[in-house]
Amino acid sequence: MSTDLSHFKDAFFEESQEHLTTIEEGLLQLEQRPGDIDLLNRIFRGAHSIKGNSGMFGFTAVSQFTHKMESVLDQLRSSQMVVTVAITDLLLQSLDCLKTLIDCARTGAAPDEAHVAALGGRLEACQGTPAPGQATAVPAADERSLPLGTHRFTISWAPPRYLFQRGLDPAQFLKELAGLGTVTHLALDAGRLPVLTELDPEQCYLGWTLELETGKDLKVIDAVFDFVREDSTLTIVDNPVETHPTAAVSDVAKPLGEILVETGVVSQSQLNQALSQQKKVGEILVEQKVATPEQISEALKKQSEGAVPAKKAETPSIRVDTVKIDRLINLVGELVITQSMLSDLGSRFEMSQLPVLLERVAQLERNTREIQERVMGIRMVPIGNAFSRFPRLVRDLSGKAGKKIQLILSGEETELDKTVIESIGDPLTHLVRNSADHGLEPPDERLAAGKPEQGIIRLNAFHEGGSICITVEDDGRGLNRDKILAKGIKQGLIAESDKLSDEQIWMLIFKPGFSTAEKVTDVSGRGVGMDVVKRNIEGLGGTVSIKTVTGKGTTFTLKLPLTLAIIEGMTVRVGQDTYIVPLLSILESIQPKREMLKSIVGKGELVNVRGTYLPLMRLYDVFRLEPELSDPTKAILLILETEGERVAVMVDEILGQQQVVIKSMEQNFRKIEGVAGATILGDGTVGFILDVRGLLNIARQGTAKAA
Amino acid sequence: MAKTVLVVDDSPTMRQMVAFTLTSAGYQVVEAGNGKEAVGKVNGGAKPDLVVTDLNMPEMDGITLIKEIRKMPALKFTPILMLTTEASDDKKKAGQAAGATGWIVKPFNPEQMMAVIKKVLPG
Repeated sequence: MSTDLSHFKDAFFEESQEHLTTIEEGLLQLEQRPGDIDLLNRIFRGAHSIKGNSGMFGFTAVSQFTHKMESVLDQLRSSQMVVTVAITDLLLQSLDCLKTLIDCARTGAAPDEAHVAALGGRLEACQGTPAPGQATAVPAADERSLPLGTHRFTISWAPPRYLFQRGLDPAQFLKELAGLGTVTHLALDAGRLPVLTELDPEQCYLGWTLELETGKDLKVIDAVFDFVREDSTLTIVDNPVETHPTAAVSDVAKPLGEILVETGVVSQSQLNQALSQQKKVGEILVEQKVATPEQISEALKKQSEGAVPAKKAETPSIRVDTVKIDRLINLVGELVITQSMLSDLGSRFEMSQLPVLLERVAQLERNTREIQERVMGIRMVPIGNAFSRFPRLVRDLSGKAGKKIQLILSGEETELDKTVIESIGDPLTHLVRNSADHGLEPPDERLAAGKPEQGIIRLNAFHEGGSICITVEDDGRGLNRDKILAKGIKQGLIAESDKLSDEQIWMLIFKPGFSTAEKVTDVSGRGVGMDVVKRNIEGLGGTVSIKTVTGKGTTFTLKLPLTLAIIEGMTVRVGQDTYIVPLLSILESIQPKREMLKSIVGKGELVNVRGTYLPLMRLYDVFRLEPELSDPTKAILLILETEGERVAVMVDEILGQQQVVIKSMEQNFRKIEGVAGATILGDGTVGFILDVRGLLNIARQGTAKAA
Repeated sequence: MAKTVLVVDDSPTMRQMVAFTLTSAGYQVVEAGNGKEAVGKVNGGAKPDLVVTDLNMPEMDGITLIKEIRKMPALKFTPILMLTTEASDDKKKAGQAAGATGWIVKPFNPEQMMAVIKKVLPG
């Protein structure tokens, strides 16, 4: 039987990532709490698991290197070595190297062996004595290395008394020996049996002597007693037997059929006929129901493909708390019950039962909503995963920038969609780098400003309504209004005459190419990044905002939807059609008075909302519909906002608010400007979800045309 | 009736691999992520015919688990195999002193593991 474990590789890589994170977090905390044994144990276990698991898949480079790390960690936790900055540095570097090694194992790329060897050497050197142990255990003795001769062993064995207490059974040993060859003689030695009154039935008093004829050598016989050798009285005497010379020479015995044909017992054709009746192993296994025909044909395919297994494409996977799954299964159970109650009701329905029907339908609705929430919950992972890289980043940054920085994380348990988490890593990194480099002042400047020498960067995540907010906050110098303004003018992003609000000025730092850092450092200041941050966040349907106080610090707030698949929407009606407007982008809805409306040549229609003129879009114009109302003072205006720009969209009526599942337009039809996607409405018809960004573009083009 | 094996390891990958190998060989598998969980499973009614346990684990390590199992009347004589990477004899001895039946040295392949299991679990 050969069991293929290679499909566990993905699981290994995924699990290793977790261990790597544990080790990294641990090492960083270790600097503050060098004597924390629990912490050291946790780090050690991480390394230990990687070592053990990687060996299972034959990633010896990984397991050997991890072994060296593990040895250092082991000495640290047994207090044979003391945690110093040098050692944490070395371990962190080794951790990076280990990450690369694991990546190489995943992709099949060749690691930088010189670097690995150098680090390995340093790990060994720091322990004083080179570690003698080898990472990979000696592979089990190759049992196929058969000696030429047959042996007759005389084995006498008196097991330790405690044999049973260790879960061992003497019969198992005798059976195993018998399996190795032929037992020609077996004698029971009951000499150690005490008198009955003193006999403890839980002890083993018996011994055995047996003779075994076998082709195996002493090593194999000896290995049978591996688990009991300690306290056993064991003698194995090897009496080699002269074997038939011809039999000894041929490595591979001739098939039986061949010998029979040679000696004239049967003819070749008789043999062939017999062979054709012989069943194939696969068929037998299928008959015995130990394998399915699919498994057999799969295995045969693998056999014909040769030793090289087809490289599997990496499929993204997600680890889900079993509690979540159990709850979901419970809910599905309830759903099935509700369904059967409904169909029971339907089979003999009378009008008098209408209240019952309504109640059941309400129950179905509850079930459905709850299942929807739970299923969404499966994709939800704590944001802590995305935060975990920052302690290391900040440590490195503070070293490079010569600043003292304390990182405070909170809200790590806040959950959001896995895809969102994966996409916010880079933007967050940029923001943290930005805070470390631009936001926080060097120690002397801080002291001069009467602040503590150590700057603080705070990362926080929390839920707010249907979205999640992530803030990156520093207690640094704050944004410099004049500097940004000057730079903006210099780079031609704004005109000198422009009157900008503070908020609009802050948003300038998100423009491509903008950077106020006087000198370009390794960390930031290349003017690449902040615009990417904004683009990425908006790509996820989120927003970025800035709050800053000169001399006190800056806070960046990212507001993101919890998931990309479902949005909270407002359903609105235009003529006969229903549209959905993302709730996040609706500021307010108004019914304008006549005097609020202006029509300006070249700028189209405008509406004055508390002193600000906003472009007015008639949705029926955009989508060429037949409206019920064409007079804005009778219709409803939705004030929508995205990226700081606003537009008033005119609809006939607001229908209500609901969660809608987004279906892609591109995948099912084609992209339409102003439409973000479609959804199926309660009555089965299709409703379009408005894309506010797209609508703004249309508004702009419209005014351009009009001009 | 299929024999039940209690597999205890804090590494899910390792647990899955051991479990997969055992289920493929026709055993029933109960999994636990550490010693404490394993004791919980047994107290909760799991009746393993064999225990396969890692040694380094959070909450309750393998050695303590072995001692705990040996205290249970029902599992007094149940074979316990330790999974160990340490080639050193110290761990093995400590495990045996606690009542372990034997060990499987990591890394192992499924055949090697099944060979050790056949050694201690009556067929």
